[in-house]
Amino acid sequence: MKVVTFENIHRAYRRGVDVLHGMEFSIEQGEVVGLLGRNGAGKTTLIRIAMGMIEPQQGTVRLFGLDPREKPVEVKRRIGYVSEDQILPPFLRVEETLALHRGLFPTWDDRLAGELAAQFRLSPREKIGKLSKGQARQVALLCAIAHRPELLILDEPAGGLDPVARREFLETSIRLLNETGSTILFSSHYMGDVERMAGRVVLIHEGHLLLDRPLDALREEHAVALVPHGPRVDRERLLALESCLGVRDRTDALHAVFALEPERARSLLERELGVAGANCRTVGLEEMFIELVGGQA
Amino acid sequence: MLIVVDPHSGVPVYRQLMDQIRFHIASGLLTPGEELPSTRTLSAEIGVNPMTISKAYSYLERDHIVERRPGRPLVVASLPNGELRDQKIEQLRAHLTPTVTIVRQLGIDRDRALEILRDLLVANAGDEHSGTADDAAGDTEPVRRPDHAPNEREDQTNHQGEEDS
Repeated sequence: MKVVTFENIHRAYRRGVDVLHGMEFSIEQGEVVGLLGRNGAGKTTLIRIAMGMIEPQQGTVRLFGLDPREKPVEVKRRIGYVSEDQILPPFLRVEETLALHRGLFPTWDDRLAGELAAQFRLSPREKIGKLSKGQARQVALLCAIAHRPELLILDEPAGGLDPVARREFLETSIRLLNETGSTILFSSHYMGDVERMAGRVVLIHEGHLLLDRPLDALREEHAVALVPHGPRVDRERLLALESCLGVRDRTDALHAVFALEPERARSLLERELGVAGANCRTVGLEEMFIELVGGQA
Repeated sequence: MLIVVDPHSGVPVYRQLMDQIRFHIASGLLTPGEELPSTRTLSAEIGVNPMTISKAYSYLERDHIVERRPGRPLVVASLPNGELRDQKIEQLRAHLTPTVTIVRQLGIDRDRALEILRDLLVANAGDEHSGTADDAAGDTEPVRRPDHAPNEREDQTNHQGEEDS
């Protein structure tokens, strides 16, 4: 079953400034999708469209087959959502915030909420406004998952958290995954967290979907080739090769990303451009990210 | 079970899990019949997506490294005689392969490299004698075996080395 579907989503903020152009992908039940992209790539806009917080100017978004603008309550009851800039009312106490959410979600699990509150060492009487950034985020996470949502949407959930709080956040999300089998869509700049959590990676760049692959395939079946500058080799010729995903023109060499295993990328370069023995290797997610969306030279 | 995931290494997480479990079996830390933690438990323990753990487990099962019995925890498969020794050798070979590349990149003479390895092994045996030699039967042989083969080759090549220096 498809839990999230984006079809040909277009959204511009000001006339002429497109944020998303024709975003299209879907998420199956139980998938954990890491949404990657530079700041301003359109991740938050896409997530807000999924949440029904803003409307696309073109295209359709469906959650559990429903339009989040038409059926906001029905959809939101089945979702948990945490974002970096989410603001809980600062004048409420922790216990009041939980009670508020408990009333909103029929599937609220008191036992889970209690366990998480204890694990996060939250004091019920404390005002939200008095909490540290990490603790406030933990309250938000607790509210997002205590109703055991079918879909968890996290927009930069770890932004500004210390490593311990980040790991706790990750482990709590994994717990929900383990116990409830929830689908998760999360955006993050922490590539280590993405590598631990995600089964699939969607990379968006300047409003376009640049890459959508299972994480393991990205690690094993994609290579970065360092191709020395030469008379027969330039950016355009490399980009023209099938399976070439991107080229960065660096001073040392051209860095080309191929959707091929290193050995096959090497023989492609030799066959098509006469480049013998190019240095081709698999790389981790962070390096792949930089090769794909990093600047030139 | 000690599993350490390095999300930034060039190796996918499920591969890291497979490699480490294989290593633990070869080193005797995990013994045949021993239960492995459930997907959920390990997932929670090391903070990794449970799908990644089950992927690693099912590949290990395919390779007959672990066994799944209906309704029971996954266990380390029992190995036919000699198999453990082969696995130890296999592990050592895998770990030494990058060293071979480095030796070549640095342009260090083969005999010199072997000498350094032998010295390191001797020096290490001096201060640490308790460690890995648990299962006496299988253990002593494979450690010596790779020692013998290079020795013979060394005898032939040693003369060249002397002329060089």
